[in-house]
Amino acid sequence: MILGLLLSGAILVVAGVPAGELLNEFVILTLFDAQSLKSVLFQASPLIMVGLAGCLAFRAKFWNLGLEGQMIFGAIGATAVTIWDIGSPGMRLPLMMAVAMVGGLLWAVAPVLLKLKLQVNEIVSTLMLNYIAINVLLHLMYGPWKDPKDAFPYSPKYDSFELLPELGSGLSLSIPIAIVIALIVLWFVNISRAGLYLRFVDKSPKVAGAVGVPVAKTILIAVLFSGALAGLAGLMVAAGQEGRLTHSFYVGYGFSGILIAFLARNNPIAATCAALLIATLFVSGRSLQVFYQIPFAMVQLIQAVLVICVASSDFFIRHRIRRVQGGD
Amino acid sequence: MDLITSWIGNIPEFAVPFALAALGLIITEKSGVLALGAEGLMLVGAVIGVGAALTVDNTAVALAIAMIAASVVSLLFALMVLVMRINQVISGLVLVFFCQGLTTLTGTLMGWTNQPVSGLGAIALWPLSELPYVGRFFIQNVVVYLVPVIFVVAVWALNRTTPGLRLRAVGENPQAADAAGISVLGYRLAAIMIGAALIGLAGAFIAVLSNKLWISNMTAGRGWIAVALVIFARWSPWKALAGALLFGCIEALIPQLAASGIKLPQYFVFMAPYAITLGVMIWVAASKRDSSSQPGALGTPFIREERT
Repeated sequence: MILGLLLSGAILVVAGVPAGELLNEFVILTLFDAQSLKSVLFQASPLIMVGLAGCLAFRAKFWNLGLEGQMIFGAIGATAVTIWDIGSPGMRLPLMMAVAMVGGLLWAVAPVLLKLKLQVNEIVSTLMLNYIAINVLLHLMYGPWKDPKDAFPYSPKYDSFELLPELGSGLSLSIPIAIVIALIVLWFVNISRAGLYLRFVDKSPKVAGAVGVPVAKTILIAVLFSGALAGLAGLMVAAGQEGRLTHSFYVGYGFSGILIAFLARNNPIAATCAALLIATLFVSGRSLQVFYQIPFAMVQLIQAVLVICVASSDFFIRHRIRRVQGGD
Repeated sequence: MDLITSWIGNIPEFAVPFALAALGLIITEKSGVLALGAEGLMLVGAVIGVGAALTVDNTAVALAIAMIAASVVSLLFALMVLVMRINQVISGLVLVFFCQGLTTLTGTLMGWTNQPVSGLGAIALWPLSELPYVGRFFIQNVVVYLVPVIFVVAVWALNRTTPGLRLRAVGENPQAADAAGISVLGYRLAAIMIGAALIGLAGAFIAVLSNKLWISNMTAGRGWIAVALVIFARWSPWKALAGALLFGCIEALIPQLAASGIKLPQYFVFMAPYAITLGVMIWVAASKRDSSSQPGALGTPFIREERT
């Protein structure tokens, strides 16, 4: 992990950021400044959602790479509610959340059913569905849902009662929602019956089936739950950060969700912490973009480097233990 | 009529990247390594190909450099799956994400984005090029004509030569291959690097020869379609080539539709290749054939018993 951070630092220096400034930028400015700490927390909530979504699907041994597509459909669902003015203003936000979760869930139905019924490889199917979702989004943003007042491919701005409200001092409602959901997921995987089944399925689907665990149903529930969380993440970005649907709001989240789940070893608490770390990266990545014209892709590169380092440190830990046992 | 002629003429240009990437994937996967990193390696081939073409102004050299670059980057993947034995799915995904970040960054920092390159001129394959309607199919650049040659050589090497047979043995049953004195990791490393070179060439083809410029993430999921192509070609190079031609037909149709003036929402047209990939995957899965052609040890790391 530390090696990963050092390596990322090295990459940044190569890309033309003065080393001294770097420390300043990343550590001091991002973590010790109240304003950016808030933006880190703010940024963390959708990342916690996609991270948890990744954990749930991976626990069911389902490679849900469709988090982006599910986010997009969650946000599209929520935006549909705002555009067609469904429900009274007071009920609007809860309705948007529900629709976003249903949207994400629906976009996860096809790949999981195809996997369970026909053994269609879910890696490819979820990715293909991502590309389809992106094109649907672009169609809406450049076509019927484009805000006529804006030159950019954005939807009309949400009304104020359609935004996730601030809870004073700049903290958005999305943070407590994220924490509550994290607790629900924790309950789901550790305490609930489905979570117990899920652990069976994770360890060995064959044995799980033999001892009477409803394997297919457990996988279905976990993956649909995962899709619903991704949909909620879409709403958090749209109604929390952007205040509207934009053509590229999803960029980077699907990938981060998978990496967060991997870094956290599918543990919901660890995923929340990992999401905070990645959120720090996102926030500092944006400021680097502004100050040093470094493309946002840097954030992606750093995340990949982090994962490689964490995964390989795993190997070195295991390897050392084995050597001692071998006793030469 | 012009539309059909130019559609047929464009098919090879769109089919070649799929064909090369699928062949690269087949070679890697025959050795038992699940290669999901194609999308990333194609991007590396594309950006380095354009970069090299801008720098040395020699297309052949640029393509060679792109192949080498993809091979070099695949060493990272080899390190992850062969040495560290990290889960091959995660390794492949990380490789894609790593390459997406790396290529966007390289393209931007080096100023290679949207810089036009010269590409290669088309050669007419007389007398086929004089045929009505399909004539333009046979006016292509050199690399297109090389593809069938590459396929013949690859199939021959996989089926008829000792290294090729050993490579497949490593993919089917690494323990047995190891016992027979074949270096499992060595063959897998070679398979990864050769496969990566072909995948890199596929990416460079898209950037240097087809679009003649670099845009970040320009492969747009073609690497993943190639992964799907290999699954429904059941790891058979010739079937993969046929599948690549099919997808070439579909992709070549997209600009034709736009030019023909038929009013279709363009983004629904753009999603066609992905929807069709999904459709074909479902169709293949529903008409379930035997899956014995899948390399037996695909996706499993090779761990030799610890020697003390």
